[in-house]
Amino acid sequence: MQIKGKISIKGIVQGVGFRPFVYKTAQDLGMHGTVRNLGSEVRVHAEGTNFEEFVRRLSSGTPLSRIDSVTVTDSDEPVPAEFVILESAAGTLSGFIPADVATCDECIKDIFTRGGRYEGYWATSCVNCGPRYSIICALPYDRERTRMDAFPMCGACEGEYTDPASRRHHAQTIACADCGPKLSLLHPDGTTVPGEPLHTAASLLDNGAVVAIRGLGGFHIACTAEAAGRLKGALGRPEQPLAVMATADEIRRVARISPAEWELLNGPAHPIVVLPKKNPQALNDISKLHTIGCMLPYTALHHLLFAHLTNPMLVMTSANAPGYPMITDTREACERLGGHVDYILTHNRVIQNRCDDSVVRDGKIIRLSRGLAPKRERCDLGDACILGTGPELNANISIYQGGFCVTSPHVGNVRNPPTLAYLKETVERTAHLLGAGFDVIAHDLHPQFLSTRYAQELAEETGATLVPVQHHKAHIAAANPGPCIGIAIDGVGYGEDGTVWGGEVFAGAVPDFTRVGHLEPVMMPGGDLATRYPERMLYGILPEEETADLLASRGWDATTLGVLQKQVERQFNITISSSTGRVLDAAAALLGVCRERTFDGEPAQVLETTAIPGTASLWEREFIQEQGRTILSTSALLREAFSRMKTEQTADIAASFQQTLATGIAEIAVMAAEERQYKKIALSGGVAYNQAIESAIRKTVVASGHEYILNTDYPLGDGCISYGQCVWAGTTLKQGK
Amino acid sequence: MKVNLMHGAGGAVFSELLGETLTRYTNNNAGGIGLEALDDGAVIPLGDTNLVFTTDSHVVKPLFFPGGDIGRIAVSGTVNDLAMMGARPIALSCAMIIEEGFDIPTLERIVASMDAALGECGAAIVTGDTKVLEKGAIDGIAINTAGVGVTEKPVRDCGLQPGDVIIVSGTIGDHGMAIMTHREGFDLGEQIASDVAPLWPLVKAALAAGDIHAMKDPTRGGFSNAINEMAEKSGVQVRITEEDLPIRRSVRSASELLGINPLDVANEGKVVMGVAPEDAQAVLAAIRSHPQGRDAAIIGVVKEGKSVILETPIGGERFIEPPIGDPVPRVC
Ligand SMILES: [Fe+3]
Ligand SMILES: [Mg+2]
Ligand SMILES: [Zn+2]
Ligand SMILES: [Zn+2]
Repeated sequence: MQIKGKISIKGIVQGVGFRPFVYKTAQDLGMHGTVRNLGSEVRVHAEGTNFEEFVRRLSSGTPLSRIDSVTVTDSDEPVPAEFVILESAAGTLSGFIPADVATCDECIKDIFTRGGRYEGYWATSCVNCGPRYSIICALPYDRERTRMDAFPMCGACEGEYTDPASRRHHAQTIACADCGPKLSLLHPDGTTVPGEPLHTAASLLDNGAVVAIRGLGGFHIACTAEAAGRLKGALGRPEQPLAVMATADEIRRVARISPAEWELLNGPAHPIVVLPKKNPQALNDISKLHTIGCMLPYTALHHLLFAHLTNPMLVMTSANAPGYPMITDTREACERLGGHVDYILTHNRVIQNRCDDSVVRDGKIIRLSRGLAPKRERCDLGDACILGTGPELNANISIYQGGFCVTSPHVGNVRNPPTLAYLKETVERTAHLLGAGFDVIAHDLHPQFLSTRYAQELAEETGATLVPVQHHKAHIAAANPGPCIGIAIDGVGYGEDGTVWGGEVFAGAVPDFTRVGHLEPVMMPGGDLATRYPERMLYGILPEEETADLLASRGWDATTLGVLQKQVERQFNITISSSTGRVLDAAAALLGVCRERTFDGEPAQVLETTAIPGTASLWEREFIQEQGRTILSTSALLREAFSRMKTEQTADIAASFQQTLATGIAEIAVMAAEERQYKKIALSGGVAYNQAIESAIRKTVVASGHEYILNTDYPLGDGCISYGQCVWAGTTLKQGK
Repeated sequence: MKVNLMHGAGGAVFSELLGETLTRYTNNNAGGIGLEALDDGAVIPLGDTNLVFTTDSHVVKPLFFPGGDIGRIAVSGTVNDLAMMGARPIALSCAMIIEEGFDIPTLERIVASMDAALGECGAAIVTGDTKVLEKGAIDGIAINTAGVGVTEKPVRDCGLQPGDVIIVSGTIGDHGMAIMTHREGFDLGEQIASDVAPLWPLVKAALAAGDIHAMKDPTRGGFSNAINEMAEKSGVQVRITEEDLPIRRSVRSASELLGINPLDVANEGKVVMGVAPEDAQAVLAAIRSHPQGRDAAIIGVVKEGKSVILETPIGGERFIEPPIGDPVPRVC
């Protein structure tokens, strides 16, 4: 029987209360020895008669930890007579960057305990909760390498920190009202509003004020539901749905929640969960869609604010222009938000790493961010260190090294200087935290993406090898790298033939995919202009007199319409695209439910909402065979919808259109799978967030007897691209191609 | 690999061809500024002054368009390249390659137009050459002109300095948009005219009014291409204020209807310059006093750093990038 040895525990063991857990377990079992944090590994030297039981208990970990391996080796190193937590040492940094964790139940109890040490303290946290990634400067995760370093512990905090019996034993973020970071309420000019900040902010909000609130990873702009219209006006985003933060009761009152979603809302990440409204017409000022993005308070600050508020719900939107990085700095908030907000509720703890709220819908991650990222995935992509610089919109970055791929939180739309700067910063900081130096840089095939240019510059600087990856192949690589049929239903991405892809069916395995089917290539008159004005897309797909008449009846003036017709006739500045998103845009335009896109994915989302009360029937699908590829005719589908407009309800047409389009794409995939003998069919792309479309594809695939794969560990939209790029590049390299 | 039409569209694809093939001469400099600089013209020191030398070939469809014709372009293009080097144009050569069957009265109109343009800037065509090719070997006519000018102080396109002010001599995108809409037959309600004109008189006035650090005419690839080339060669960042860009209403509405960025299309009678800040108002006034410079404006500033950034009215920022041959949608 072993009574002594060295135990090495690898995995997610930082910032998850692992050392205190080891300590406590050692105490319980009468073990003596040491524990030390080495970055991605916790190393224990221990001695005692319960050694084997000790190892067994350690292997089960803590609620937030994830253990990859536990190795026990013999050791002759002398151990102290008691059990001691040693200082962290910088070991291998290949592991894990802890994500922020929502305030735990016990801490919530603490802040509302009368006369307690933490009563009313906004930054209360413990070993199981609180900021992590957003304050971390370097690994291993210890107070002196976080932004909590600026707040030396008072005697009482020090006492708890060193007390093995305390929940805050070695809690790196421990702080109290005496020693910790402090709140202040400011006017936009930077002067202080008198009174207790939280109390005052709550009553101002109740009275209709718009308040910027500095949270974990950046600023929110908050107001009551009644003030939502005013806020949207000030932001110049009247159509865009906003997220809300609300009490549990209020969320239950306004939305339908499944048990799984309830668990997610309450989990360690506390993401925004997009839920169906109970009454689709309710809260229209906040979201005109049939859904609403809800989150629960996730910091002590939020809990205290809601305790003071009369309103059970606040609109909470990230403080940034769409696609730009969220504001993190108080001075910048004063400068840039002055025109939009009445007050600024802030604190003096530096946000080291920006982190937007995560968004999940129906179990699918829309935005991988706070609480979920940096995301670490165990995968074998070989020995090289790989950077994936991502796509352009809804981008993030991934770094693969030594068996793990780490994906950063959401970066944004990398098409403007501030977001490009943020992308670079994210690459540099993540690489620094992981100790990574890139051998390979994978990027999108689009020659003009700023992320592509950045990849090229970085490769020139570092000598790394560049690997361009086609956008939709990256989608499938992220969904299922092994042999499969892959369906990518998406907005647009640069295709290998110079046209724009986005409704693709591939057969093969990374890095050999054959394009076996797709949606009909159609015209986008004016390129990106057709994305902004979906009626242009409609005419691009159905360039006919009847369509022109429809547009004229909708108020298009003769000059504009004449130019559009001429543009199509002369093929002037026309892009050819097989995008699924653009077809949905055209359908939304045809049905008259969306004429201008004012936020990402608006026409398609409005179409989905329009279809909710409708009954879907399956129309005829028209397939075209061309050079061994199967093409679904979207012009025939749109023409069918057009012809039914005289006799059928808009909702029914919308529902049937989605159903037929989805089924048609799935049928191409099933035919390809049968013909080429693939067992698996994988789905990815932003259109897969559409519930009706995703379930129609799933049904068709499952009914055909094939295995259906949807990778819900990553976003289905472009938040999976950087990971897919790494998978692609790593696999290519491993196969020596 | 073969040359394709994208190579001729200017911008990034053209730069590749230029860098890898067309500038691989070892004998590329006659003593001053040579081919290696890829500036508007070459500079050859000659006693106390400098000879500036440049050449350009011209094809355009259609030959006659609102605001100009191929003859006017053929003269203006070369005169403007000389002017961009700060040189007074003196003499031009003219070589015409003509398709068999070309209409002689049309040829006469072209020559008359060239002569008028020469008169506007005080230059002369002093030598020439003509070739006739069999039908189909060329589309109508191509005109090459070469020109010489003199300057005591050459102006480069790489001389931008942090602190400089960026001035454009008038509205942007007129020529390209005029050609496109006219050629394709778009009825926009209001006709757009090309700005094609020899710039020397305007440039001469500007040079006399203050210290101009850099000049370029935003022809192929438009303003986007010109300003990026200037910024990159000068090793600086340029920040442009979107609201201050002079763009004709008709050009703006055409661009909104067709999805074409007016900053990406050619101009044939405009100059972009970087001017010492203390001289900016005087230079601007001098340009504005010239009939071709009435819409001149200060549109931006030069900073340390790199790339060209457009500041939008709502506080946003965008990169202005050199266009590639054809725009590719990027919205996902
Ligand atoms: Fe995508
Ligand atoms: Mg030139
Ligand atoms: Zn806690
Ligand atoms: Zn304290």
